[in-house]
Amino acid sequence: MRKIELLSPAGDLERLKVTLLYGADAVYIGGEKYSLRANANNFSLDEIREGCLFAHKLGKKVHLTLNIVFHNEDMSGVFQYIDDVVDCGIDAFIVSDPFLISYIKKKYTNCEVHLSTQNSTTNYKSIQFFEKQGIDRVVLARELSRDEIGEIINKVDTDIEVFIHGAMCTCFSGRCALSNYVTGRDANRGGCSQVCRFSFEYGNKKDFTFATKDMNMALYIRDLIEMGVRSLKVEGRMRSLYYLATVIGTYRNIIDDYYSHSLTNDKMKVYQSRLDRVANRETSTHFFTKKADYKDQYYTGRSEVSNQDYLGQVISYDRDNKLIKFYERNYFEVGDLIELFTPFGDHVEFVCEELFNEDMVSIDVARHPDSIYFIKLDTNVSICEYSMLRLIKKNNESR
Amino acid sequence: MQLLVEFENKSLSCLNSVDGIILPLIDYSVESVCFFSLDEIINIKNNNKIKVFVKINKNLFNSDIDEVKDILIKLDNINIDGIFFYDLAILQLKSELKLNVDLIWSQTHMVNNYKTCDYYYDMGVKYALLGKEITLDEVSEIIQKSKIISMVEVVSKPSVAFSYRKLLTNYFNDINEEPINNIKVKEKVTDSFYDIIEDDNGTCFYLDSITNGTSVIKNLYEMGCQFIIFREYGIPNFDSLVVDTMKYISSGCSSKNYVTKYKKMGDSTNFFFKRTIYKVK
Repeated sequence: MRKIELLSPAGDLERLKVTLLYGADAVYIGGEKYSLRANANNFSLDEIREGCLFAHKLGKKVHLTLNIVFHNEDMSGVFQYIDDVVDCGIDAFIVSDPFLISYIKKKYTNCEVHLSTQNSTTNYKSIQFFEKQGIDRVVLARELSRDEIGEIINKVDTDIEVFIHGAMCTCFSGRCALSNYVTGRDANRGGCSQVCRFSFEYGNKKDFTFATKDMNMALYIRDLIEMGVRSLKVEGRMRSLYYLATVIGTYRNIIDDYYSHSLTNDKMKVYQSRLDRVANRETSTHFFTKKADYKDQYYTGRSEVSNQDYLGQVISYDRDNKLIKFYERNYFEVGDLIELFTPFGDHVEFVCEELFNEDMVSIDVARHPDSIYFIKLDTNVSICEYSMLRLIKKNNESR
Repeated sequence: MQLLVEFENKSLSCLNSVDGIILPLIDYSVESVCFFSLDEIINIKNNNKIKVFVKINKNLFNSDIDEVKDILIKLDNINIDGIFFYDLAILQLKSELKLNVDLIWSQTHMVNNYKTCDYYYDMGVKYALLGKEITLDEVSEIIQKSKIISMVEVVSKPSVAFSYRKLLTNYFNDINEEPINNIKVKEKVTDSFYDIIEDDNGTCFYLDSITNGTSVIKNLYEMGCQFIIFREYGIPNFDSLVVDTMKYISSGCSSKNYVTKYKKMGDSTNFFFKRTIYKVK
């Protein structure tokens, strides 16, 4: 059985490296042109080249989004850009425009083309159309049920990719121009201002809102693998390193445990709890098991949770002196219960007993984000750069 | 240049005044307010000499495919003048079933460049309904450079988004009130209003402001646009507008009175003269 792919977002080179180290099999990135996140940092050609080299050394892949809805003026430069990024080593394009699908497939037989979810593909017959155009993979719409996904897989030859985690569009992807009309920012060219998270006045009643909860399919990874899905996609090119490391690392654990027949209910509880701790909104499985309803909507306004569990990003570990050197991210104190987690999948829970500032002066509190601190930990676990520290419990809280 | 009209109700009041009509097929079309059964469509086609186009523009699901296949065959048999499609399954079915019916690429916000229009033309698609979020210059370039026959929506309250979710049912459920299927809301910062209408296929958002493109009809005429579209929903005195527009077109768009008269519908020309931005840095 071909092992399912875990596909991570990467908004910049550091996120690309971290998510691959934390277990993604491939990443998808946006270049400086033609990507639906025009306002993200995005990758220069040099960064794409470096990212591809990094990924390929690990035996992993880089997919590039080329999924805006093209206007006339966008077409003039896109052909040269395609040549350039192929030269950088990308493995696949994510495209919504069938003209470009056909163009790329004719010119670059060794480069895969994936149909973007921007096309909102909801049935097997439209995939059969794209199969004739040479498409290698289809990213399905997020409006499909388990049975519908299963039927599609049974009726097409193309690889199928599905979203498993992250924020959702309220409308069909590609079928929404609210951003254009409300803010003048082109939703389908990378400028989406997420109007579906705005609130609208409705007479004297509670404001009309229609944002959706985020997606979390952790409990159904087993089903998706057994149905024959080829790739599991996580949303969030603009998410933090900590979020991505946690989410990708957790799904890596779930997938690997499935294939090694060791995915137990107890383990799933731990994995779900890790995902919950980095979530800043409530989550749901939306259309997978039923038609989405009001329980899948997010009616609590914009009071999204600011996550302060992330305590630090590890720079190095001095095994002789048992000291972790790290950049602080959030305030914590001696006595707090902390978890160290690493790109290798290890998790170590410990109480912070000794903490030092950059001058190795013993302190009780790490209170300055981005400053360098040291924390004492005696462990045999392999600790490398991009390992992370998170808060499990404050000293003065019950767990 | 020909005028196609999509009506707000089944009275089809000025049916014989126009070049053609667009009939949304019930259960299979969205972003419309008045729907027709297949039998009604066949009856209208068989009893009128105008062009009859059918709209099948929902995102199709697996369970829709067999019935859509039958519908396409029936529409092909009555020589319907064209089908507005969103889902590529329609194009695939036309090919598989070897149908003669003409298709109109009608992917709402995606029909924005001449290269992709030509791609669809080469795939056997005769017409394209251009996106409403492009400028008149972009429309002109598509008309000049593409082999496809362009259609341009000129007068309407534009549909701006469509969700598979029952957003009104959900909202009223949240506030513990009996759902209604049509509300008007206000966006607070821009003070702009939107109509939200829910039906069995999902929820559609309409801008509650008329795109009044009567002043650009002459431009479109001169650039060789072959079809313009008016949608009746939310447009006052629609019959008069249609009759006057037909006269205006037949006069070669030479009457200044026409444009002056219909300034009263408002000064929004949507994106004809306004570019959207996508980089805010």
